[in-house]
Amino acid sequence: MTNRMMKWGVLAGLLAVVLAVPASAQVAKIDYLGYGYETGGILPSNAGDELVIEAVATGADAVFGVDLGVTELTFHVSGLISTGEIVSGGTTTVNYSGGMLEIYQDAAMNADWGINPPNPTAPATFTDGDLFFQGAFTSFTLYFASGGYGSFEGDLDGLAGSAIDGSCNGCVYTWAGAFTTDAGAQIPAGYDLQIDGVFQIDSAVATENASWGSVKALFN
Amino acid sequence: MRTWLKATITVLVLASLPMAANAQQLFDFNGQAILPAGVGGTLTMFSEVFDASPATTPLPLDFANYQYTLVIEGLMLDVDGFTQQYSGGTLTLYQDASTAADFANMATFTDGEAILVGTFVNLSRTVFPSGVGSVAGTVDWTGGTRLDDIAPEDQPGWSFLSGTNNGADQTLPGFDEQWDGKVEPRDLIVGDEASSFGSVKALFRD
Repeated sequence: MTNRMMKWGVLAGLLAVVLAVPASAQVAKIDYLGYGYETGGILPSNAGDELVIEAVATGADAVFGVDLGVTELTFHVSGLISTGEIVSGGTTTVNYSGGMLEIYQDAAMNADWGINPPNPTAPATFTDGDLFFQGAFTSFTLYFASGGYGSFEGDLDGLAGSAIDGSCNGCVYTWAGAFTTDAGAQIPAGYDLQIDGVFQIDSAVATENASWGSVKALFN
Repeated sequence: MRTWLKATITVLVLASLPMAANAQQLFDFNGQAILPAGVGGTLTMFSEVFDASPATTPLPLDFANYQYTLVIEGLMLDVDGFTQQYSGGTLTLYQDASTAADFANMATFTDGEAILVGTFVNLSRTVFPSGVGSVAGTVDWTGGTRLDDIAPEDQPGWSFLSGTNNGADQTLPGFDEQWDGKVEPRDLIVGDEASSFGSVKALFRD
């Protein structure tokens, strides 16, 4: 085999690999259910009120390597400070500053919201175990539609935890979902919101766009 | 004889005590929706139901041997706008052991046994400026092979709640939105009822 033939053979193989990899970011999700409460209740949300959320994972993508049949992932959100509510066009928007999300993994399977938090089991049973993820919110917003339901969305900077140790350069973390304040829903006494959402990691892409010339230049 | 009767009554009273009320009951789903083009059009949603432990399902489901899918069909858009209003349409919970649900083939969601069939009393859908949204509605269960597992007084008025996301990384080809939500009863569904001691004793008279 000549040197030229070998180069083109390698190039063809590399192109096949590049073409086989999706160009979009890889998304990994953890689905969760839980409850939240805010200082003094919500609505209204007054500037300075703190929002706290306790949740449990109900599903996790295989990439996380967690078997929810024998271990639990619990979520504790604290330190989200309301900047006050804004009412416009039938929507009430509440932006928050600060805030931290912590996810713990443990085999105790003991998560218990109890009533009238904070209480002996909340947050204690949501913050036991090993730290799976810790992130600081860079933004967090609640959107209330008329009728006692709405959505929430936040972005985080990953700080620590076994889920990201040394393996997630350039990742983007989001926390989003829906909630209801409906008095008829199954909301334990003392909690204001029932939430259902996903914690999502958009990882750095595995491939980069490159010009044909730059690919050829690798073989010159 | 009196000892036997006393023991029997004790067992019955214990059995009649309500279950612990701390477990949330729901059908948890993840799916994809197709939105109507305008008023008069219909919304459809195909989803898979997951075991949301530690929450429990309102009816015992066998996730080890069956796949469960939840499908909305014929939900009509009545009022368009920032918050849309829908009515009509059906919500069906299917149980199937033979065909894996595949979003490239919607028929894989509607095969199997329809164990619960419901009608929407109402449904609102709001999409906020960031692209995330919420859906909230009310469902009455009216049919299905396991309808009778729910007491008649517990069949109407179930809450339907879902988050929506129309991001490109969330929607699959052919769909408009990803839905992640749940259907839950207003009151916990239990296998027994609380009874007064007098009513239990009355069972042994005559």
